[in-house]
Amino acid sequence: MFGSAVVNQRQHVGLQELSALAGATRSCLGPSKNYKFIQDETSGESTLVCSCFRLLENLDLSCAVGQLVNETVQSHQKVYRSGSGSLLFLAGAWSRAALECLQRGISIAHIISAMSEGMDICLDVCRKYSVATSALCASPSENCSATCQVLERELLKKPAGRALQVSSLTRETPEVSHKTRNTSGRQRVKLTHSRHFYEAKSEKVSTVPRPHSQDSKDVDITHIAGAVSHGCDDSMSLVVEASRLQTENGEQDFSRCTFDITKVVTCILPGLPEERACVLPGCVVLLSAEQASVALHVKDQRLKVALINGDLSETYRHLGFNRPAGVRQVTSMSGLGSLSKEEEWLESVLTSLLKLSVNLILVSGVACEKLIQRCYTHHILVVEKVRASILRAFADATGAVPVTYATQLSKHCVGSGVQAAVWRDLSSQEKKSSVAVNISTNNNTGLVTVILTSCIHGKLQALEDQFWACAYRLHHALKDKALLPGAGEIEMLCVHHLKKRAQHHVKPSRESGEQANAGRAASPYRHVVLHLMADGFIDYISTVMVNTGRCTKVKAWTALSQQLQNSNAASNFSTKALLESETQGGTMSPDMKSNETAAGKVYDNFNVKVELWRKALDLVFLVLQTDAEIITGVDHKTVGTQSANLMLL
Amino acid sequence: MSRLTKKSPSVCTDEPLENPDLCQRFDCLRQLLRSCFGPSGRLKHIRNNIGGHVITTSTSSVLLSAASSSQPAVRLLTTSILNHVSRFSDCGLFAAVLCLSLVDQAARRQSGLRRDVAIRVNKHLLRMCTDYLQREDCGCKVRLDFCSSRSLITLARSVISSKPGCVLTELEAVHISKLAVQAFVLTVPCDSPGTVRLGRTVTVSVEGQPVLDSAVFSGLLLDVPDASSLGNVENLQSNPLQMVLLGVSLSGDLSDLGDGTLEVHRGADADSQVLDQLLELGKQVVKDEVKLFVCQKVIHPVLQQYLRQHGVVVVERVGAALMEPLSQLTGAQPVATLQTTIPAKAYGQVKDLTIRQFGSKTMLHLHPAGEPVICTMILCHRNETMLNELKVACQKTEHVLRLTLREPSALLGGGCTETHLAAYIRNKSVHEAPEAAKVLGCSQSQYLLGLEAFCRSLESVAAALQHSGGSSLIDLTHGHHWTLHSDTAEIQREDALGSCGCGLVESGPHVKWTHLNTKYSDFSPAPLSKNAAVYPRVLDSFTAKINALQVAVETANLVLDIRYIIQDVN
Repeated sequence: MFGSAVVNQRQHVGLQELSALAGATRSCLGPSKNYKFIQDETSGESTLVCSCFRLLENLDLSCAVGQLVNETVQSHQKVYRSGSGSLLFLAGAWSRAALECLQRGISIAHIISAMSEGMDICLDVCRKYSVATSALCASPSENCSATCQVLERELLKKPAGRALQVSSLTRETPEVSHKTRNTSGRQRVKLTHSRHFYEAKSEKVSTVPRPHSQDSKDVDITHIAGAVSHGCDDSMSLVVEASRLQTENGEQDFSRCTFDITKVVTCILPGLPEERACVLPGCVVLLSAEQASVALHVKDQRLKVALINGDLSETYRHLGFNRPAGVRQVTSMSGLGSLSKEEEWLESVLTSLLKLSVNLILVSGVACEKLIQRCYTHHILVVEKVRASILRAFADATGAVPVTYATQLSKHCVGSGVQAAVWRDLSSQEKKSSVAVNISTNNNTGLVTVILTSCIHGKLQALEDQFWACAYRLHHALKDKALLPGAGEIEMLCVHHLKKRAQHHVKPSRESGEQANAGRAASPYRHVVLHLMADGFIDYISTVMVNTGRCTKVKAWTALSQQLQNSNAASNFSTKALLESETQGGTMSPDMKSNETAAGKVYDNFNVKVELWRKALDLVFLVLQTDAEIITGVDHKTVGTQSANLMLL
Repeated sequence: MSRLTKKSPSVCTDEPLENPDLCQRFDCLRQLLRSCFGPSGRLKHIRNNIGGHVITTSTSSVLLSAASSSQPAVRLLTTSILNHVSRFSDCGLFAAVLCLSLVDQAARRQSGLRRDVAIRVNKHLLRMCTDYLQREDCGCKVRLDFCSSRSLITLARSVISSKPGCVLTELEAVHISKLAVQAFVLTVPCDSPGTVRLGRTVTVSVEGQPVLDSAVFSGLLLDVPDASSLGNVENLQSNPLQMVLLGVSLSGDLSDLGDGTLEVHRGADADSQVLDQLLELGKQVVKDEVKLFVCQKVIHPVLQQYLRQHGVVVVERVGAALMEPLSQLTGAQPVATLQTTIPAKAYGQVKDLTIRQFGSKTMLHLHPAGEPVICTMILCHRNETMLNELKVACQKTEHVLRLTLREPSALLGGGCTETHLAAYIRNKSVHEAPEAAKVLGCSQSQYLLGLEAFCRSLESVAAALQHSGGSSLIDLTHGHHWTLHSDTAEIQREDALGSCGCGLVESGPHVKWTHLNTKYSDFSPAPLSKNAAVYPRVLDSFTAKINALQVAVETANLVLDIRYIIQDVN
């Protein structure tokens, strides 16, 4: 059975749904996010969320567009771990633009071709204005490169509405200032709560004395991290610390600063204040008090380690093993007295563990309770639910080979040189007594654990998400080796270029026979579409501004359009003209400007941003091109009660 | 006492085509499929009523197999179209739209056309069409030139760009078309005497990468989820490498017992017995110096460990779909049993192994030792929905390109074939109407009505390419199809039209047009002067289209011939 709802062209329902869905996640945009409660009316359960992807995850999305949105956002989140809010917002903004186009009678083919062209323009802008991460941390003398000049002048035309929440910098360490382009001693202005104004919080890290040889290298990461921290300074400082530990202790080259995200573990400790968050070398796991006593026992030993992929139990079989249905066990009388199958297995595993003198077993799944107990009596530590990448890191560091079954263990599968130490006893904080044990290797593998703490249990997930967002932003910045000027700047540049192109196109479109030949007749509406697309960006920046400070939507729009006009009026983008126009606008204090030109500028990830723009536009295209929904498995009887525009096939 | 439920009698519908409910359903299906047709067609979301996974598509094969109807007459039609698509891949929507138009035209009561006459006239005109299309001097046919890749790329591009759900830019569409042709060429063996056996293209999709990263490789690429387990594959010494291919599960479980039961004594460990047998296999393979061990299903971790220790590269879970290409590539015969030792001739060979990375996917590249007739096409796209659509489009393209080997011709695309054909048969039939009417046993006016219905249907397919309210035109010289966008004024018509649907005819002051739905005086569509410089922009598969035409007309005739529908409603 089959029903189909045909949608009215001029009031595209799909686009409206997309826009409405995006509206719900408006507050997830920008650095200062509002928490949202999602309540399930039937069960009375509620969830606290503050990011777009968590919101979507917890919503019951039954419409086709909702599902499409959720799929897109989750797949983006899986790879990039940030930008899902921007993705959905832009999808919403551009779906409104497409709706507007439809209302003006522009055909879908024209909208798509113009918007694709708009996206190409934006991607060009991104490539043109991207900043190499190496340029970001170069010394001042090298800074007068072409890119930097471009940057400098772009720096000066930043959104004006950001002049909110200004507080003076309280701490200033000389170690930092000689690395930044700022002259030390000048009173700098620090902005809190705003990624737009946030300047690299390097002081926290740099107060830790470091070997001099690494100094210049280490600054790199600190700078980059500061540039992409987007207001999450606490989380980012944890990331920087993790990277510092990896670089410092890693046996590998000092030549380049490293940040290996696969070797970062998070450990969540509820009940402690948030300031207690810290980073430790090694892998910290929470164990029961009983287990921890084993750790105490083996404290100063070099442990032998076995790595198990999967569960450690008698009944566990590897993936793809099918238990045959028709097997029956026949017991002869003599067999009754002997041990059960599980006992036999326990015995054999324990014997082989003792024979190989293993003291530590890391299991990616769970271990059977009886075995843990037996191991406990023999002072063998069993750690469950270890992530696969961590298992691999231990394999690399100790020479151990991960195996699926304990019976597979042989001499060469067992690694050595692991230490386990009790890091902190948490029995006082938690009802269920637990102890944090740090498992590390002598030759450091770059494994680091980030301890995240909060007194509020419901906030822990948001904190963890935030940490990973920061970690992945740094990871992607290092991987892309390029960044985009952030704080809405790249979007403003796109707006500028889109509008410029839109004006450009009005005239030649009629005569260009070549384009008509190319199968895609030049659209007389191109400029309209490009303008609307640019407005989507302005909407985005203004929403970020509104979310960031307490500036109103109207103010934000005014400031932005003012700025655009200024940049249009100046025939060439001379720094001076822009500088003047800014001062005339009176929106930016002189103090601010000096800060803006300092190293503590905000940047966005190149690929994350480009990808999310494309994904947002793709989503709009898919929905825009869809005119009907086919619902299969519709029951004939219930159809009558459903909406009138359902047709049966 | 058992209770008997009374069986309801079967429902018999007399003259189903007179039934407004069925007509409405046909009409709904017609609108639905028409709106999907062509490069600017609209997409459809398909989901079930409890909100499962959403498919977004405009491809006939996906659409029709998802949308099943309770109406037998509708089902008859969709099954027939699906059957065509499964054999020829392309032109499914063409067939469906034409068929539904023919039914619609003939079922209209006010037209005054008797259905039995319509069936006979349709048959007659179908023969006329196919005869014309088979002729050497057919005005809408192009010989494919295998000396250059140009026509093949055009053909491929027409198929790919007819799927708007792929959301490709012009550049991306060209890139994918070139890849499709490259893959096709790779699968044609160069110098094998005797019967030529075509190779295979294996498609691997990678989500999240830009489309322009898509590529074609000769040989096979196998997905390896855990790259760290591969070890140092690129430094394997011997060349070529000996490999073995297993079609059985090596997971170590007892093979399927069927319905019977197995009694196992305590102490007897069936699992370890099977494992011992697996290890025996491992020993033999190592002894025979096998360097690559590929299994369709799961391999027991102990066996994997054993093989790796002996320097064998192990790949498990390649899936049934890859078994045939693997065997074709390496010459290995899949081993289907563990009971006997592996015969020497079952082993295959690969030249080389390399590791390739695509986004998040790590793949092991098997280079062929002999002639590469197996190739792998890596398709990248930004999201799953578009990727699925692109994958379907590429598989269609591969099939369409293969069909050219049987019949190296193509038909003009962009609706030009349909309008040209309509103009041709209008002209021809009008002249021979008296004889034809006599042969078909109907009056001349009935014959002309049938002719009009048939031509209208053909033209309506061409008109279905337009979705944004523009109008379709036909020129009165060559009978090609032109589209006029709704936003252009009449005065600028000449400029706005540019060129016809297929791109062969240029607009100019000498060209006269008329709207498709108006009556025009019949003319004999002139063949185009052979101008090598002008090449059609859009081409359709000849074989697929001619079959689609036949399927459409015959299915329509069958539907029109239905007198009763008898349904068992129990």
